[in-house]
Amino acid sequence: MAEIPPDIFFNSISELNAKLRAKEFSCHELTQAFCDRMERIGPRYNALALSLRKDAITKAKDVDRELKRDRTRGALQGIPYGVKDLLAVKKQPTTWGAKPFATQVFDYDAHVIERLDKVGAILIAKLSMVELAGGGDYRTAAASLTGPGLNPWDRTRWSGGSSSGPGAAVAAGVVTFAIGSETSGSILTPSAFCGLTGLRPTYGLVSRQGAMALSWTLDKLGPLCRSAEDCGLVLHEIAGVDLQDPGSAGRSFNYNPKYNRKPTDITVGYMPVDFEDGAEPSAQPAFRAAFEVIKSLGVTLKEIQLPEFPYGALVGTIIAGEAGSIFEEFIRSGKVDQLADPHQIAGLKAMLDLPSTEYLRAMRVRSLVKAAFHDLFLNCDMVLAPTRLGPANKVAEPLDAPGPPTKSRGGLIPGGNLAGLPAISLPCGFADGLPLGISLLGRPFYENQLIAIGDLFQKQTDWHRRRPPMEG
Amino acid sequence: MDISRRQLAGVILAGTAAAQAPPPPTTGQSGNTELESARSARRTAAQIIARVPLPMTTEPAFQFKA
Repeated sequence: MAEIPPDIFFNSISELNAKLRAKEFSCHELTQAFCDRMERIGPRYNALALSLRKDAITKAKDVDRELKRDRTRGALQGIPYGVKDLLAVKKQPTTWGAKPFATQVFDYDAHVIERLDKVGAILIAKLSMVELAGGGDYRTAAASLTGPGLNPWDRTRWSGGSSSGPGAAVAAGVVTFAIGSETSGSILTPSAFCGLTGLRPTYGLVSRQGAMALSWTLDKLGPLCRSAEDCGLVLHEIAGVDLQDPGSAGRSFNYNPKYNRKPTDITVGYMPVDFEDGAEPSAQPAFRAAFEVIKSLGVTLKEIQLPEFPYGALVGTIIAGEAGSIFEEFIRSGKVDQLADPHQIAGLKAMLDLPSTEYLRAMRVRSLVKAAFHDLFLNCDMVLAPTRLGPANKVAEPLDAPGPPTKSRGGLIPGGNLAGLPAISLPCGFADGLPLGISLLGRPFYENQLIAIGDLFQKQTDWHRRRPPMEG
Repeated sequence: MDISRRQLAGVILAGTAAAQAPPPPTTGQSGNTELESARSARRTAAQIIARVPLPMTTEPAFQFKA
């Protein structure tokens, strides 16, 4: 058996794929090494929901047979990955991170898993998550069947939610990439907190067939990776039309880094306060430095104002209306009381009292949000802002505990989600020894250009290559 | 080696305990208090949203397509 050097666990997709094709090691050896690491290190961060070692090894041997015949299937062939435990994997438990669903089993694979399977990616694990993706408004990081998601950079800090396992697992080198979901922040937040590059695709670009529904009109699936390029490679394979998903946009995505507009043709909007004194004090220097790097790419920077809307209230009301309907039977049955977080239990129960008039009003205001973002993108191509205004929360504190004072309004995460827009979060430095992220938000189906600017940013910086100081 | 979910749960729980004790769920509030608090938050959200004027262009519609 070939020795798998430790650096391999932090390689990008392209690097790993090149080594597999060069036969530096077999896919079987690589998969085995990742599985060993996953089972050893994953639980340290409460990142692992279920090991899929047996099936992974079988598929890895298939990939080896293909590579032996020089049959290649693209960049993801032989790459070990994990999925948030809200995606169905045939005949395996799919817990949605919640005790009442601990024994739930589906007899099919989620659409994205089928697509990744076809190109030879190796699914090695289901990864932990906040119970029911936190739709009931959770108050503690411990709101999960597997315990609080712990951050590989500092285990006293949260790995973010609700894709807490995908965030921690990629950061810890347990998988090369992971598929997470975002209703309002669940890909971007763990990416920022764990020092990863995360991509939230345009609503409808990636099929959600086989994924737990939390909010039909807000849910998206997307990758958490080590780099912008990796996000492009994964999105290339998982995006596309699926008639089984009523929200499918009927679009495909071709990752084409060579055919993007030059940075000098791009206008980036920003709100000055975000890069002056708007973020948490410890994070301000890193955000200012990241802004200067973006500026150095040659883009035109333009001051903008985010449209004024009650974003948080809108997202909360829309999730309440839709999740209340989706989980109505679960809530009425009383099984909801088995969840870990009392705040979330109460939030889910309260959803059943939401008048339809309030949901409809929120959806009507949402159409104004969408129009306002459309107008915003007449004046710029993308918007730059801190992903979160500071580093990861402390696990031991309630998530709604008041943090350091900030002047920034935020709103890019809920606003972008309400409008169904794509965004990428890029690692951009550290505060208190913890990673920070900046986000680029674009118009619908603008993923290639977001990835291109992200890639240029990462050619000028090495934040995305930093590794957590892990013991053992 | 395949490990069962039961074995895995043991590993996970041990890992969690070693990492740090997770915070206990918010205590001191009964379920009813939490529920009333959640309902109150919803009412507040509704009041905030109600301040946004709504033009006719926002009315929900259903379109028949040939």
